Formats: sequence, C-alpha cells, structure tokens
Amino acid sequence: MKCKRCRRAEAAIELPSHHSAFCPDCFFVFFRRQVTEGIRKLRLLSPEDRTLVCVSGGKDSLVLWDVLIDEGYETEGLYIDLGIDGYSDRSKEKVLAYAASRGKTPIVVELAKEGIPIPEAAHCARMQECSICGTVKRYFFNRVAAEGKFTVVATGHNLDDETARLLGNLLHWQRDHLARQHPLLPEEAGGLVRKVKPLWRVSEVETAAYGFLKGIDYVTEECPMSEDATSLVYKEALSRIEDRMPGTRIVFYQGFLDPSNPLRKRAEAQEPAGDAPRATEADAEEGVGTPRACASCGAPTYTETCSFCRLKERVRKARSQRAARSSR
Amino acid sequence: MYNASMIIVRLPQKKKELELRGPRRVMDLLADAGVRPTTVIVTQGKKLLTKDHRVEDGATIDVISVVSGG
Repeated sequence: MKCKRCRRAEAAIELPSHHSAFCPDCFFVFFRRQVTEGIRKLRLLSPEDRTLVCVSGGKDSLVLWDVLIDEGYETEGLYIDLGIDGYSDRSKEKVLAYAASRGKTPIVVELAKEGIPIPEAAHCARMQECSICGTVKRYFFNRVAAEGKFTVVATGHNLDDETARLLGNLLHWQRDHLARQHPLLPEEAGGLVRKVKPLWRVSEVETAAYGFLKGIDYVTEECPMSEDATSLVYKEALSRIEDRMPGTRIVFYQGFLDPSNPLRKRAEAQEPAGDAPRATEADAEEGVGTPRACASCGAPTYTETCSFCRLKERVRKARSQRAARSSR
Repeated sequence: MYNASMIIVRLPQKKKELELRGPRRVMDLLADAGVRPTTVIVTQGKKLLTKDHRVEDGATIDVISVVSGG
C-alpha cells in the first residue's frame, strides 16, 4: 500500500477513520497537524504559556511532551511515582531516559515519601486504586503547577480516553461530570491552574504509532492496578463500533464539544449550588461553582476539606487502627 | 524450538509467543492470534507494518497493544 499523501513511499500506517494511509514522514506531518489543530481550535495553549506536562512513561504523555517540545512550547515534565512495585521503577526509567534525550530533567513526586503510595493507600482506604490515583494525581498536578508558576497543566488524554469517559458519563447520566468534560478546563479563582488535553483529536493507535516511529521508548506494559478499570469496557465497546464504522469516535466527541449541544449549554449556564457540597469525591476537576481553600492544606476545593486531605486522613486512621490491633 | 519456516508472532504484553505458518498478511496472523487489528500496532524491527503487509516465513513480528486503562 502506498502513502496517500506523497504517493511514493510505502505506507506504514493505515487510518480508515481518515480514509488515509501514510508513510512515516507524512504521518509525522499529519499527526502534528492533528495536535496543533486541536490546540488552535480550542485555544488550549499560547506561545507565552509555561506548560507542565504530566508524564507517566506511557506512550500518550511522552508523545505529547515530544510534540510540544518540537512545536516550540516552553515545557517541563512532571512524573508522579505511584509507589507500585516494579512498574513505577520501570515507568520512571522511561521518563528519565526520554527527558535526558531532550535535555530535560523532570520534576518527580514520590508518593511513598508523601506517605500515600497508591497500593497501600487503596488497601487502607478500601477504595479502588484508579479512583485514588486520579485524586492524588490531580492534587499534585495542580500543586506543582501552582508552586512552579506554570500557567497550564497538560495531560496525554487522547480521543479514545475522552470518548470512553464520555460514554461512561452518558450511560450513567453523570450530568455534573458531563458539564465539566472538555479538553480545556480554564484557570479558576482560588488557585486552580488551567488544564488542557492537546491530544483530544488523535487515537491511541495514532499515538502508539507516532511514538514507535519517532523512537520514543515508552512503557508498553499496563499499570497492574488498572486491569479491571471500567474505562476499558467503554473503550472496547467504542472500538468495536469504530471497527464497523470508522470515524464514529471523532464525530461522537466533536458533536459533544459543539457549543450548540444542550449538554454544553448547560455547562456554560451552570450556577453554584448554594451551600450544598458542590462536588462529591470528584474533587476540584469535577466541581462546579467557585473553589475555596481547603481547611487543611489550602489547596483549591469545592468542599470544606479537599479530597486529597480527606483521603490522607482516611489512610492515617486505617494505619493507626491497624497498628493498635497488631500491638494488642 | 525456533523454526525458520514459520513466522514468530510475539505478544509481549500477554507474555505470549506463537509460531504461525507463512507467508501471510498481518491481518490474517492477528486473526489467528485472536487479536483485534484496531487495538494494536504491529512492528518488525524498526518497521511499522500495515495490516495488509505480507509477512514472509522466518520473520519475527511484535504485536503491541495500544489500549491503556485507568
């Protein structure tokens, strides 16, 4: 199969959703255009931004960092060591190696040193690992960005991630979550730094192919904690639909983002919900209204104490109960 | 034992390795391996293969899952 752009070289990747196939060189052009177009359309980043790129060692975040560096954005990487035996070490290695290859040194937060490694925290709090991980990561993304005077936090969520999340939110009619789901979460008073997802137009296959062809050595093993993640169920459902009807994913997501979509209009019109707690476990990212300072740590939150401090407290209590039991 | 007249299909994330008779197209090898083509990229050394690429006997290909969860 020949590349449909240059019509000379052999194609390395076929993209039915774009009725296209590309050789490596033309694919680089296509992919970068998809990302820069996604940034431009939703005004995610400006040349003046200092961007904190959250990198896990996986394909999406390293590819995102790579594209942003190549596009001339001022970036620094943030790696959060989740404290997962073996997996975290291997992921960190990939991040450090990639960063070194671009002359960068990432900021590293070690959850074990913060007293909240994910496996132990999940065990103590009797919560799902993915749920805890989300809370902890969002907390540190914002905290590191605010302390480091970054103007924006960028994550590597791609089209597959976003559509899986959208499907889940729709199936459960999570209206608050739907109202806040967008590749751009603007900066808010109280210290919430702007958050963006510049890969919202590209699929997982595309980021994996870009990473491979660019020689980015990313971690291919899956997080051992995410085996039962519900997002995988939604991804598989959407992937089966995409197999039969290529291009459905992007139509689904772009339709959702369309300002004339009633769900988005609702988001724009949403008012603070009085004195009632404005968000449950979903913390600042999922909240509505105006954030205030956490009574414990001062981080922005929509409740009295932020979800990170509540989690830490839960873990602390469980640890002391366990210690008391074992000393009896 | 390694068989030069077969195609080696490695699935590192599943810690699996198959020997399949060639020459075959990538999509046929994936079907035999029970893998949906849109969930993976397929590589041979530093080359990325399209699903209609014909793989010759004696070749080794890697099937890398692209689906991440969590």
